[in-house]
Amino acid sequence: MSGASLPAGATATAAPSAQRKIGSIKRERRWALIGAYVALAVFVLFFLVPPFHMLMTSLKSSAEIADLSGNPWIVSAPTLENYRELLTQGNYVLHFRNSVIVTLAVVAITMVISTLAAFSLARMRFWGSATLATGVFLTYLVPETLLFIPLFQIIGGLGLYNNLLAMILIYPTLTVPFCTWIMIGYFSSIPKELDEAALIDGANHFQMLWKIFIPVALPGILAATIFAFTVSWAQFLYPMAFLVSSDQMVLTVGIVSDLIRGDTFAWGKIMAGALMAAAPPLLVYAFLMDYYIAGLTAGATKG
Amino acid sequence: MADGNVITAPGVPAAVAPPRKASTLQRVARRRSTLAFLMALPLLAVIGGLVAYPFFYAIYLSMLNKRMTSFVGIDNFSFLLTRETFQEVIWQSVLFAVGAVVAKALIGFILAHVLHALPAKGQRKWRGMLLVPWVIPPAISTLAWWWLFDPSYSAVNWLVSAVGVPPVAWLGEPSWARFSVILVNVWYGAPFFMIMYLAALKSVPDQLYEAAAIDGATGWQKLRHVTVPMMANIIAITVLFSLIVTFANFDIVRILTNGGPQDKTHIFGTYAFQVGIQSGDIPLGSAVSLFMFPILAVFAVFVLRGVTRRSKEMAG
Amino acid sequence: MAASGIGRRAALRAGAGVFAGGALAAPMVHAQGTGGRLALGFWDHWVGAAANDAIRAVVNDWAQKNRVEVVLDFITSVGNKNLITIAAEAQARQGHDILSFPTWEIHNHHRQLEPVDDVMGRLGQKYGAVNEASEYLAKIGGKWMAVPQTVGSQFKGSAARIDLMKQHAGIDVQAMYPAENRLGPGADQWNWETFLTAAQKCKDAGFPFALPAGTFTDATDWIGAMFRSYGADLVDAKGNITIRNNDKVRQVMDYAKRLFQHIPNEMFAADDATNNRALISGRSALIFNPPSAWAVAKRDAPDVARNVWHFPSPMGPAGHPVPHLPYFYGIWSFSRNKPTAKVLLEHLSQTEQVQKLVEASSGYDIPPFASMTEEIRVWRDVEPPRGTVYNYPVRPHHKATPNVAFAPAPAEIAVQMYNQGIQAKMIARMVQNNEPIDRVLGWATQEVEGFKRG
Repeated sequence: MSGASLPAGATATAAPSAQRKIGSIKRERRWALIGAYVALAVFVLFFLVPPFHMLMTSLKSSAEIADLSGNPWIVSAPTLENYRELLTQGNYVLHFRNSVIVTLAVVAITMVISTLAAFSLARMRFWGSATLATGVFLTYLVPETLLFIPLFQIIGGLGLYNNLLAMILIYPTLTVPFCTWIMIGYFSSIPKELDEAALIDGANHFQMLWKIFIPVALPGILAATIFAFTVSWAQFLYPMAFLVSSDQMVLTVGIVSDLIRGDTFAWGKIMAGALMAAAPPLLVYAFLMDYYIAGLTAGATKG
Repeated sequence: MADGNVITAPGVPAAVAPPRKASTLQRVARRRSTLAFLMALPLLAVIGGLVAYPFFYAIYLSMLNKRMTSFVGIDNFSFLLTRETFQEVIWQSVLFAVGAVVAKALIGFILAHVLHALPAKGQRKWRGMLLVPWVIPPAISTLAWWWLFDPSYSAVNWLVSAVGVPPVAWLGEPSWARFSVILVNVWYGAPFFMIMYLAALKSVPDQLYEAAAIDGATGWQKLRHVTVPMMANIIAITVLFSLIVTFANFDIVRILTNGGPQDKTHIFGTYAFQVGIQSGDIPLGSAVSLFMFPILAVFAVFVLRGVTRRSKEMAG
Repeated sequence: MAASGIGRRAALRAGAGVFAGGALAAPMVHAQGTGGRLALGFWDHWVGAAANDAIRAVVNDWAQKNRVEVVLDFITSVGNKNLITIAAEAQARQGHDILSFPTWEIHNHHRQLEPVDDVMGRLGQKYGAVNEASEYLAKIGGKWMAVPQTVGSQFKGSAARIDLMKQHAGIDVQAMYPAENRLGPGADQWNWETFLTAAQKCKDAGFPFALPAGTFTDATDWIGAMFRSYGADLVDAKGNITIRNNDKVRQVMDYAKRLFQHIPNEMFAADDATNNRALISGRSALIFNPPSAWAVAKRDAPDVARNVWHFPSPMGPAGHPVPHLPYFYGIWSFSRNKPTAKVLLEHLSQTEQVQKLVEASSGYDIPPFASMTEEIRVWRDVEPPRGTVYNYPVRPHHKATPNVAFAPAPAEIAVQMYNQGIQAKMIARMVQNNEPIDRVLGWATQEVEGFKRG
């Protein structure tokens, strides 16, 4: 992945080529760069306006939020009270913990299922495996809004209605297909010679997967993990449909259900809660972004 | 892993011994495919038990009458097609999904290019900022947008009036409401495209650009003849994935407008919810949701076939 | 037990008032029960923590005395979470033993509910008749399928600003509906035409009436009452569609068109809280709402609250219906503890308990037995201003009737018209899209035909 992230190659190009051309390339690049920064600024503004407003609101007291005379975009008397209250009273911490539990469990389950499946589909073949490999992606054609009605009965039959465990059971349907698909792509890009060599060395398939494929495909696995993480963390429809008791809720529904009481929206706390809820994915992306991009590159392009 | 090892254990000696006889080879192959099947079994269980089975069950449900006491065949579907409201829902879903996906794809494409052109050092910082919308759970960020649009407290209208323009009923007026719903979806989804494209861009070998530059290609020509063909697969897959997800979107519309005003922002998912859950006609709701399937399936088969073809061409 | 005690104290200490309800949503569990276990899903009160705490305390006491283990969840109607929960539990055949059902939901799910004729029989002997609307909604095929509940049952009459109405519309609402058992001057003229003039004047003064016309219940209920007051039924009691060629429907639509010239456009996308916020923020002179908006204003905008008066919605040529949204307690047929559930419901319906609930909700909650309205004094005492909710419950001297939107249509059709807000959409089509009336009526007929399918 490290090598791939340097686009600088272009400047160091063209040793013997004509000087004139290099000059024009340089000029072109400078203009491109200026254009780039302008475009960036515009979109960063568009992308960050709501989060900025969220941040400002989260620092306001209820009185300041309700006051219509002020400028809604700035905060005159910043306070951390909303954050403090969220962390010390109510169920926010519980919801956060539930989200963490569900997400970790789902990511773990997803990775085990998709790694095994991707390895088997990309490398080992069995009757119908080719169909399955393309079919995996088609799972997404069946939308959650259709599935949740029959799922009521399945979940009810298992006795898991209004239970956090139901989420751990259902979320993989949203994560596994995409992750398997990324990893099929990644595994297929690994040269065949590697497994032949491993087989000759006397490794069985699990050793091969564990000792060769997983280390080599680490960027792809990380990309899949991050995807699974994002999806599980943000899922809304299933918890909304299946969870009723506040102590079972995850963040996405917990914030809404606990901080909106009738017509009273605790906006300050909602925003504070939302920003804190965004922190884990933000950290994950901040640290693992390069792997993510590299993983997607190899996996997705091979399709 | 533990069970896995137990299963493979008998296979080890066969693999160790260099295969001499044809029968051994066959046995190895058979054992190998059994093992492969077992490894894919959890995937099959998830898809079969929690997607395929409920899917077929939903098809069955969609063919029942409202009280779910008798079988009515495709009545629900033909009934829906005659409804003016549902016809509008189809049109709105297409408008919403296509509009949002095109905008997301364009913005993602531009941003990926722009980022790619930056020096590696500054890239991280910008990339991080541009990723923020994708990182906040959409159910919550949509709530923040809704608050920005609220008639009494709208911070957006505050800005609008600051420039002297009369306030806009962002969610109250059908065309504005449609615009707002798409806007929020684009805001949330564009970073995903950006990341996917950026990943694709990085995988385009620099030599190709160098070669193009030496041939005197303009920026536009490079884009058209090098970048786009190289990225075709990832563009196709990303668009497909996003189209599916956008078509099936639920939370943004539900939180922002709940389908209103006058059902003008309902899309399949939210309309199915209103009909099936809120009005107590579960079979009809299932039928609404099922309409998505053929539309997307045709598109998906089309796209995936193209992807496979291109991958083969590249490989060959 | 201990846990619940600490929880309540912590919540009180929090003082944040309304939001503490959420803090307490963790299950309250009574150990060593011998009376079995009950899971309750009650409506999360819009007035806030005080009302939730009151019912929790009542249930708590009962559970302790009867050695029943109780889990109590408060389920909000925000975003229709309560409807989702009802549908989910009906499908999953699992969940709570007792659930709160609004308006038409009993009809929608009565096949899965336990009849409660025994409970209702005893209550009827003690307290007399239940109001007609509630009976219509909960008594199916001669059998009571649910117990009408006090908590959450509400009227949606006018909640208006005394000062603004006086200043801009020239109507002294306090004099018109004084806090006594008589009508004041002008009450006989409190009809939709007077209302329209007032709406226009207040709008011109910058305080438009915030009347929602979306698909949430606040919109559906008041528009339903307006239609009824013109005698304009979309479907008659036999299930015949009476939309086209119905002069009364045309009449009310014509009126609506004139009225909505003075209502802000964004009210077509309003939810149940938009109108409340408009009143609380001081931007509106009148909304149709129970006293929850007033209760929040009392905390957040006391100057507004001091100037709010509650009284019936206007009357029309065909009568004086007041929007009514009753709630019911239903016992799922899959409940494993039906006898205990019945005992609890009977207990909750006694005057003693009802009194506590009404008090805690500042008069928001309306008991189903008319006899209790006179007996309970809360509505006289709530302030400021004193008597603000005196005329909030429909009283005999109002000569008004509680109205459930879309009654008397057969429930199968009514529930869908209700949940899809058909009347509001008719108005929106006419006002926002400028569609000709015949086209609107044609559209509505087609929609309702769809709802008639079995």
